[in-house]
Amino acid sequence: MKQILLITDGCSNVGQSPVMTASLARQEGITVNVIGIVDYGTIGELGSLEIREIAKAGGGMSQLSGTEKLAQTMQMMTRKTVVQTIQQAVNRELKHILGKTSVEDLPPDKRSEVVEVVDELTETTPLEIALLIDASASMKPKLAAVEEAIRDLMISLNAREGMSRLAVFHFPGRHGGEDAVLDQGWTSDLSGVRSLFQHMAMRGATPTGPAILKVIDFFRYGTINGNQTRPEDNDEREGMLGDYVV
Amino acid sequence: MKEKGCSVTTSYRTSIPAGTLVTGRWRGGRYLVQRLLGQGANGIVYLVQQAGTRNLYALKMGYDALDLQSEINVLKALQGQHNAEDRDLSYLVEVDDFTLGDREIPFYVMRYVKGEPLSKFLTRRGGQWLDLAGLNLLKQLAALHKGGWVFGDLKPDNVLVSAYGDVELIDYGGVSQNGRSVKQFTEWYDRGFWNAGGRTADAAYDWFSFAVVCIHMLAESRLKTAANQLPQTRSTADLVQIMNQEPRLRPYSNWLKKAISGGFEHTDEAYEMWKRMISRKPVRHSVRRTPGWLKSAFAISLFLLVCAIYLTLR
Repeated sequence: MKQILLITDGCSNVGQSPVMTASLARQEGITVNVIGIVDYGTIGELGSLEIREIAKAGGGMSQLSGTEKLAQTMQMMTRKTVVQTIQQAVNRELKHILGKTSVEDLPPDKRSEVVEVVDELTETTPLEIALLIDASASMKPKLAAVEEAIRDLMISLNAREGMSRLAVFHFPGRHGGEDAVLDQGWTSDLSGVRSLFQHMAMRGATPTGPAILKVIDFFRYGTINGNQTRPEDNDEREGMLGDYVV
Repeated sequence: MKEKGCSVTTSYRTSIPAGTLVTGRWRGGRYLVQRLLGQGANGIVYLVQQAGTRNLYALKMGYDALDLQSEINVLKALQGQHNAEDRDLSYLVEVDDFTLGDREIPFYVMRYVKGEPLSKFLTRRGGQWLDLAGLNLLKQLAALHKGGWVFGDLKPDNVLVSAYGDVELIDYGGVSQNGRSVKQFTEWYDRGFWNAGGRTADAAYDWFSFAVVCIHMLAESRLKTAANQLPQTRSTADLVQIMNQEPRLRPYSNWLKKAISGGFEHTDEAYEMWKRMISRKPVRHSVRRTPGWLKSAFAISLFLLVCAIYLTLR
């Protein structure tokens, strides 16, 4: 299961529409969640509208949060999204078999059995989360809190039975053509990582749309520089199957 | 983890007014809402009266059908475990849906437990009651752990204490199977928050939370200071330091240290050690010295008595 978690505090202003690229991600089987940080002042009418739209197009959820609640919000969203994705799949099956539309329509006894299966899958499904952090100038004072929240998310992910890993990006890069920068490739252990965000150049531009495209590329090819890289996916898939066998 | 303020489901978090009649969609059970009892991560709990009877129950309305069902599944499994020697862990009465306007709200009905949250109880009766409440809490946890479950979100609000220190755990929404990930937790009582280990559900996770609950009850301000420091520097050493500084915690410190480091074999051992500790605890009851005037007054009255006896017998 693949998720993008976008953390931002404002509106995009460069490149493709992030709503469009989020929709593209969804078609690739990647759910897009968005957290809008609202520490100082507001995120603005336009900003919060965009956040909602991106999440909607990306099949995920959106929420405004202060930095002090960030870790909590991230974990809640991640977990809910996993449950929801599984629930959607289960609902499709139910419709197929029973003609019912959702788990909620089942009588309590039957619901109980279905939820048992959903819980089991929630715990064991392999999970990949790409965190995409807005590093435009206004986000600078919040980055320490963001990093802390990411580390906390890793603790929770590691407690799952299924394979879980995350990757961290920030955007924009140092020069105009660089839409997103990979700070940390797929990992399940951040304890050795001293500092997630280094060499940050805070620029005013917020190319949210193009940055999402870069992350989609990364899910596809394992790199953000096009498709010229090694297919390391194969052995990984075997690992995923192993998780199901339990 | 609490999920307050989630934008997706705000609409049904508003509470239902007293006097509302809740009718089950599937089984037709009818309950009259009397008042709000509390709020958990998965839903709102009301005190209800079963229509046509005088029976009082607690009724929990869920925010989300799946989350609530997941909690119900745990309760059902616990119900199956109840045996003759143990106290009845089960309290599930009925599970159903309630139609409110155009929404279906899932709910379940459970036994109504009278009592007050641990912190309120200890403020009212005094900190030394932690001895007994703690012992009873450990007993409850031991029973839960024996069945392969871990409570997870152990915090003062989730511990209900009745008049004589009997303890009931409420809000089973955070209960996880041993070995799985902890579903819900609260920062202060979370092992991960103190950089003291992971969030995989095991008995030690509950011991850790239990220890922080004790620290919270007897040294709240010190705990607050420790929790507010930089996340990277937070560690169990801070908790140990609080135990050494706070005189009220000192009698418990050996037990607490063992709990924080996950040093027990199983929860029964934790229970036995707690029991030994509270019975051996140096009784700090201030032995009031008998005042001098009382002693002399007693001597005089004794002397008078002897005189009186002598005079009568003479």
